Amino acid sequence: MNRQAAADRDLLRRASSGSAGTTPARRDISPNTRKPGLANCDLAVGRRALVKRARSIVMAAAFCASLSVSAFAQPDPQFSKANQQYAQGNFKQAIAGYESIVRAGRWSANLFYNLGNAWFRNGDFGRAILNYERALALEPHHPEAAANLQIARDEAGALEMQRSWPERYLRFATVNEYAVAAAVIFWAAAFGLVALIFARRRSKTLIALVICCLFLFALSIYSIYTLNHGNKGQGLAIVTGKDVQARLATADTANSVLTLPPGSEIKILSTRGDWLYAALPNNLRGWIPAKDAEPVRLRTSG
Amino acid sequence: MFTRIFTVTLLMAACVHFARADSPTVTAVLSNSETTVGDAVELQIKVTGPGDTQPPEEIAVDGLEIHATGTSRQFEIRNFMTTSTVTYNYTVLPLRPGRFTIPPQTVRAGGKLLRTPALVLNVADASGRSSSAASGRGAQVRPLNTNELVFAELVVPKKTAYVGEMIPVQIRMGFDPRVRPRLIEPPEITGQGFTTQKLQESGESSETINGRPYQVVTYKTAIAAARAGKFELGPVKAKAEIIVPRRRNAPRPRSPFDLFDMDDPFSDPFFNNPFAQLAERLPVEIKSQPVALEVKPLPPSAPPSFSGAIGNFTMATDAKPKSVQVGDPITVTATISGRGNFDRVNAPVIEDERGWHKYPPSSKFKQDDDVGISGTKTFEMVLSPNEKKQTLPVFAFSYFDPAREQYVTLRSEPIAIAVQGGPAPASAAVAQAAASPPSPATRKSSPAPSPVKPQDILYQMTELPRSVESFSPVYARRVFWLAQLVPLLALLGFAGWNIRRTRLDNREAQRVAALQHEAAQLMHRLQRADASPREYYAEASRAVRVKTALASRNRRIDPNMVDLDTAAETFKLDGASRDRLRRLFEQCDEWQYSGAHNGPGNLSPETRREVLELIENLRP
Repeated sequence: MNRQAAADRDLLRRASSGSAGTTPARRDISPNTRKPGLANCDLAVGRRALVKRARSIVMAAAFCASLSVSAFAQPDPQFSKANQQYAQGNFKQAIAGYESIVRAGRWSANLFYNLGNAWFRNGDFGRAILNYERALALEPHHPEAAANLQIARDEAGALEMQRSWPERYLRFATVNEYAVAAAVIFWAAAFGLVALIFARRRSKTLIALVICCLFLFALSIYSIYTLNHGNKGQGLAIVTGKDVQARLATADTANSVLTLPPGSEIKILSTRGDWLYAALPNNLRGWIPAKDAEPVRLRTSG
Repeated sequence: MFTRIFTVTLLMAACVHFARADSPTVTAVLSNSETTVGDAVELQIKVTGPGDTQPPEEIAVDGLEIHATGTSRQFEIRNFMTTSTVTYNYTVLPLRPGRFTIPPQTVRAGGKLLRTPALVLNVADASGRSSSAASGRGAQVRPLNTNELVFAELVVPKKTAYVGEMIPVQIRMGFDPRVRPRLIEPPEITGQGFTTQKLQESGESSETINGRPYQVVTYKTAIAAARAGKFELGPVKAKAEIIVPRRRNAPRPRSPFDLFDMDDPFSDPFFNNPFAQLAERLPVEIKSQPVALEVKPLPPSAPPSFSGAIGNFTMATDAKPKSVQVGDPITVTATISGRGNFDRVNAPVIEDERGWHKYPPSSKFKQDDDVGISGTKTFEMVLSPNEKKQTLPVFAFSYFDPAREQYVTLRSEPIAIAVQGGPAPASAAVAQAAASPPSPATRKSSPAPSPVKPQDILYQMTELPRSVESFSPVYARRVFWLAQLVPLLALLGFAGWNIRRTRLDNREAQRVAALQHEAAQLMHRLQRADASPREYYAEASRAVRVKTALASRNRRIDPNMVDLDTAAETFKLDGASRDRLRRLFEQCDEWQYSGAHNGPGNLSPETRREVLELIENLRP
């Protein structure tokens, strides 16, 4: 927008100055108009044309800007209706509205955040936490979701999985950021290697750069693997049932390992029938009924 | 051979059999293990085995007066072997109440010294006789009318109890060993106002009661009164089938095949069991006497941590890990052991929860007896500190002790821990929430120093992004790999450009090498004296052109295109050298186009030296 405005200002400045040179307006003037008597008139016509052109450029820029704005935010009638239900206190209807959008696959952090709020108002802290976690999985820097997640956790007394020390150090970036970084670093290393292969004299700086890139690439891959397979990785799930008991075996009568309040985090290790074998907070493991926990990261159907 | 082995084996087996039969045994039994002062019981010491026996010497137990009353001897011949049984009878008269142990007695039989087992006799005082009849022995032995063959007895050790207090109860079912009883319905304590634990069979013994031998089966359970008041426990009811002698006028059971009472001879039970002619199976209901029980309410002013536990307990606590960060979970294990109603034993409570976040506990119970009155209940509680702490909070567990008739509160010792780190993340989240745009749903956090527990959540979002977001990582998406085609193509282009450049470089190098090789050959030939002038000048001229082309490497001049000006410019020749070079080219052209017949046939050495000197001095 600023660039466009600067270009417009520059165009107007050049038009008003009427300076000779290579301006397009100057080129448009025919040789006949170079007569002294008609020079001012021609200049005025040129100015008007320039102003008109600048105006059309500004309008085009405004149109582009409006298009770009509409690319970021779009009023969704179903979403708006669910928001209205929420505002009127009809939380169950709001939940139904948000979940229909979820089922349609139109996922976004704001959608899950609003759905989490609706579950919170409905008194189901487990599902509220699940949806806040989903919002944060889609958009890790979602301050509202992070704040409400903490509130819901406090209300539910939910247990959290502890990150391992590599996870703690590597979580300053997300998996996607590491993936993009890995790709960029990989191509940089590849270009460096090709340059080294065909160079007449091999530069030590270039060799050091390539080695550094390869090291960073390996570090990025390790980070992706650690974050994906860590306690908060792809296997993260949230307990949605109430007073869920993690048990030593796949039977309701088996000894209890840990009582999991709703909203507690678990890491699904394997599935057997209607039971999930999961890593629990406090470094324990146990079997949980599959109906009592839901994975944070949804899978795209088809 | 086979017959010999068989005979030897048979003899050895017989020897073993006789050796085993020869070993004497001794048993000792009291007619009743419980009695009152002045109420004598009978002691029998029975020695079985061959040979002479000697009774034990005088049996002396403080508080008991024991006198020998007689000896009886019994002989039995079985499998051609004679066995004798000698029974020594004694009368035991308790002189005072208490628990007495008759120590093992030494009996000599068949040249061996045998020892009787120790016997225990519980003696109640004289006044307890009546109470024993009412409570300690809930029901006196009440043999049924069927020849006093079976009885049931409800043994309740207490007359008074508190609401919820677990009272161990024994049910004794006695049968005459000859009736071969078969229990149809297990014993059940009837009555209302109390709960009963699962009935467990605890043992079987032979006892002599009122001079009659009984096979006594003992069941154990525990009861707990649900409300205060006076109750009547029991009676205990059970159903059994016993075998009694057949009555003469009793109808003979009919065979199911004898539909029309045709007096089928095969319907006679003799064909099923020949001895059934002598006895019949009779269903009986066994019933004990009820027992009165007074249930008192618990005293008021129970401590806050009292959850209904009644009995006598101890508590031990432990925590793991002991060094954590703020917000990390600590597992606290509280072990409550003792005797009482463990179903009402709840986890200990934290006396001061400030700065701690607690989670619901889990529990497991390990019972030490059959009915679950005594055992150990272990609770695992997860706590997480919200701030720096040096000790775990104090855990309190309260119970009512019916013996002391007062509430008892157990408190854990403070366990030292190390909590490091800043405030809990909750406060950070609240701060973040407070920094976000204001909304009606946002509540201000209180300025308390401890972590503030927020009460409400933030506002709703009103817009959705146009693009749909995905949970799958970016590297799992197709667009990511399609995007990699761009740098891949760029890399291929870069590599291709490098390859082409290298090839071009190689071609130029080959050209230069060929020119250098040609120049060297020409210089070698110019130093020979046998060449004709025409050849000599042609090679000299070619040598100049090749050297010029080599000297002008960047311009890539073709040697055939080199003329005087090009060579002079390339080597920056002065006037004299330029003239000499011109003469060289002119001589070359003259010899080339005028024919070999013009001019001298050979060149003078001076001319050759001048030409060589000129060519060798051509340096860029």
